[in-house]
Amino acid sequence: MILHPGILSLLCGSLITFLVMLFASWLGVRILLRWDMESSSEEQLLLERKTWLISTLLNYALGFQVFSAVLFVFTAEDIHQLFVGAMCATGSLNANLVGWLVLLVKGILLFAAAFWVVLNRLDQRTEDCPLVRPKYLALVLVTPLVGLDLYLQWLYFSGLQPEVITSCCGSLFSAEGESVASELAGMPVKQSMLLFFLILGSYLIILVACIISKMAALRHLLFIASVLMFFVSIGAVISFISLYIYQMPSHHCPFDMLQANYNYIGYPLYVGLFSATLYGMLPGICQPLRKYESLQREIDSVEKQWLLFALVGVLIFLAISCGQMLFGSFKLLGY
Amino acid sequence: MLRQLKILEFTLSSLLRRKHKNLSLIAVYTFTIATLGSVLFLTHALKLEATGSLTTAPDLVIQRVAAGRHDLIPTKYAEVIKKLPGVESVTPRIWGYYYDSLIKANLTLVGTNSHQGKLDLLEGRLPNNPKECAIGIGVSKAFGPAIGDNLVLEDSKKSRIVFSITGIFRAESNLLTNDLVVLQEMALRDFFTMSPQLATDLVVQVHNQREVKTLAKKIKYHLPDTRPITREEILHTYDTLFNWRSGMMLAVAVAALIAFCILAWDKATGISAEEKQEIGILKAIGWETSDVLAVKFWEGLVISLTSFILGILAAWIHIFVFGAPALVPLLKGWSVLFPEFQLTPAVDFYQIFTLAFLTIVPYLACTVIPSWKTAVTDPEHVMRG
Amino acid sequence: MSSILIVEQLSRIYHRHQPDEIAALREISLQISAGEVVALTGPSGSGKTTLLSLLGCMSRPTSGNIQLRNRNVSKLPERFLAQIRRETFGFVFQQYHLLRDLSVLENVMLPLYPSNQPLGEMKKTAIKILEQFELAGMMKKKIKQLSGGEQQRIAISRALVTNPEIIIADEPTAHLDSELSQDLLQILAKLNQSGKTIIIATHDPGVYQSSLIQRRFNLRHGQLVEGQSS
Ligand SMILES: Nc1ncnc2c1ncn2[C@@H]1O[C@H](COP(=O)(O)OP(=O)(O)OP(=O)(O)O)[C@@H](O)[C@H]1O
Ligand SMILES: [Mg+2]
Repeated sequence: MILHPGILSLLCGSLITFLVMLFASWLGVRILLRWDMESSSEEQLLLERKTWLISTLLNYALGFQVFSAVLFVFTAEDIHQLFVGAMCATGSLNANLVGWLVLLVKGILLFAAAFWVVLNRLDQRTEDCPLVRPKYLALVLVTPLVGLDLYLQWLYFSGLQPEVITSCCGSLFSAEGESVASELAGMPVKQSMLLFFLILGSYLIILVACIISKMAALRHLLFIASVLMFFVSIGAVISFISLYIYQMPSHHCPFDMLQANYNYIGYPLYVGLFSATLYGMLPGICQPLRKYESLQREIDSVEKQWLLFALVGVLIFLAISCGQMLFGSFKLLGY
Repeated sequence: MLRQLKILEFTLSSLLRRKHKNLSLIAVYTFTIATLGSVLFLTHALKLEATGSLTTAPDLVIQRVAAGRHDLIPTKYAEVIKKLPGVESVTPRIWGYYYDSLIKANLTLVGTNSHQGKLDLLEGRLPNNPKECAIGIGVSKAFGPAIGDNLVLEDSKKSRIVFSITGIFRAESNLLTNDLVVLQEMALRDFFTMSPQLATDLVVQVHNQREVKTLAKKIKYHLPDTRPITREEILHTYDTLFNWRSGMMLAVAVAALIAFCILAWDKATGISAEEKQEIGILKAIGWETSDVLAVKFWEGLVISLTSFILGILAAWIHIFVFGAPALVPLLKGWSVLFPEFQLTPAVDFYQIFTLAFLTIVPYLACTVIPSWKTAVTDPEHVMRG
Repeated sequence: MSSILIVEQLSRIYHRHQPDEIAALREISLQISAGEVVALTGPSGSGKTTLLSLLGCMSRPTSGNIQLRNRNVSKLPERFLAQIRRETFGFVFQQYHLLRDLSVLENVMLPLYPSNQPLGEMKKTAIKILEQFELAGMMKKKIKQLSGGEQQRIAISRALVTNPEIIIADEPTAHLDSELSQDLLQILAKLNQSGKTIIIATHDPGVYQSSLIQRRFNLRHGQLVEGQSS
């Protein structure tokens, strides 16, 4: 099982990243203990240079996380043939439920790493680096998560038993089941559409308001709206967007759309959603950091860019998810 | 952004400037990728061959089990199964293996009615009397006979039986027909001394695919000494087998990868005094540490991608043009007739992606610390020559 | 005239707290006005290069302050020092420090890479500078094919391509004969007329006694000694 090329590369890659992260946090701890902006000792200079190593390592780690999330879904997709009853990634993930946990941890890591990289970049642009301590503390806290990711992946892949007969998206996302997933799939289309468009609409309004106005409260609102939008959108993908993409009244799988059969349409969809969420959350996260004068300047100079990225992201997401609704031949709502 | 592009331009020109220095690295990198790529491509192609040929496989195969082992099945079982609702047809098959001590290979002997799927006849025709046979191209290459020649097989009583060859069929994109010998059904029963009431197994076609599992359960219930095997089960057995095989080869390839990483590390740490001086100068005239890190990043990426593309091309040519001469010995255990195939070129995005992941990540990991070391060169040293 | 550089109590100690501790500079204070041409003189090992590298933001002092146009640069992170180096300073090194495998034009373009200028514009800026020094004709030549004097002028072009306020030169005449040294002084004089501040570290009496030098700082064992300021 473990010798499947995809699995092998996931495990190897995660192991390398974990080691790299361990090394980075070891450096981070040293920086935490010894950092002194005022000192002009050689040691401080060396530490300052080490921060470059850490940020390079973390940039690579973030890049890795992005690709590894894709590869994980891809691999789950590829190994479904090994399980009787599995037709796509959902089936492989069901074959050993740890798989869903891996996916969750990968998602969290993706966001965590992205935030870290963005904040680090901000901090490096200031002369006094006010975020040094929080940054490296966060680094030390994220590292166990990378370890957890590795461990869960190991558990997942080593626990896969080809004889297991699994249920696939057909049953997991079927309206009759009792899990959260089937609750989602079973939700009346009209209501879920309403909820989806309500949340997305308010997200968009707040986003545009943020672009126009500098009010702090708007940023906090946008943060909340982004988080809500993320979960509601994932729900919507399972509940009805997938139906439009597959043009089938009961195919609720969130992974199949990543396949060549559907022109890889899932990639721009999820990338749009992720960037809308990430960049929508950033201004809110940075709000408390404005108390540092130097950071405030930097935040002001990039914030507009973030908001624009968020806008582009959400528009891509909307275009893909709703394009099919409006122009596809498939109709869910009989009107 | 613009700055990154300019730095990329600078990186490309300085790579070209030092091309002889990077050439050996690219060569080894390419070789590593070609090795790994060959393994992945070959197993993927084999998998496709096998699954492809199995899609023409029957929905359900019924074997009889006696003393826990596969045994001949009474043909009257067919009558029982035929009566079950949902069954479209039941056909008894007669086939078996024959070990030829001369060429040291296993042949699969099949009765004319027992072969599923189409045989793509290259020349001649299928046998229509008990003295004739048709052979797969793999067999014909191993033995060397052509149409009109005789194929001599030894039966269990050590008496030699001569069949004249009337046809040769293609095994090009179909692994499973490569070692086939097709005989008339009665001739085959005689050869195996199999009574007319018995068959090797039964093939069941079903009206509705979704009912295969239920039907299998029913058959098992009515005929407890049988073992129904669904097509899906065969497919995934094959898959497991292939993954295992490819895993073995992968392990070999990963060893090559590790060796390569050691070289990459060595190359990256041992930067020349000249290069170090150059970085110092750049920093002294105002390049930032991050700019030098960017140079190093682009350098790694350009080297990786160049080697990656070259390596993939090499692997492709190795597998699909030359038929994997370097890997076939590793697969030998499977079947001696194995070399005789031409794989259908098939590479999917996932293969490429995995390969990229497996080779580029370790390379970048190996070079990150050395490139950081270069990037933090102290500009002050430049002042003193 | 306004001071462009103010140095207070500047010290630079190598290998501090180690047995081989060396104080290359000890509590130096000085001011340099905008548009001035100053010379740093002193015997070998007296700390001229060390002081130049501190003034030019190549390194940070062990203690003391450097004010560059009212901005304290003595404790800035390296990243900002690099930015100041490319925006405010032009360096002419004793060994020229050109990249030997690159062409003249490419060498002169080097300091512009970290800027926001597009490549085409960078080329234009570089060519303009080369034309000023009558080097445009050898633009495509590799550095290793050129004479010392030519290399010197290319090094100056490179220092000027970012249009810096302050030119820093360490022993610029060390590898030149007297005729070329005179040429160099003329070039520096012209630059000074166009408003550039110039700081030269030198042994060469031909340089520090020339009329170009407005002030001279004499270093000995890392300290300023009251010297002949002209
Ligand atoms: N990296 C270093 N580590 C230790 N000591 C150093 C270092 N760099 C310079 N020094 C010491 O600092 C002192 C001043 O050196 P500096 O190069 O500034 O002298 P200088 O006046 O430029 O001499 P020269 O005329 O020979 O160029 C010298 O004693 C030298 O040995
Ligand atoms: Mg010197």
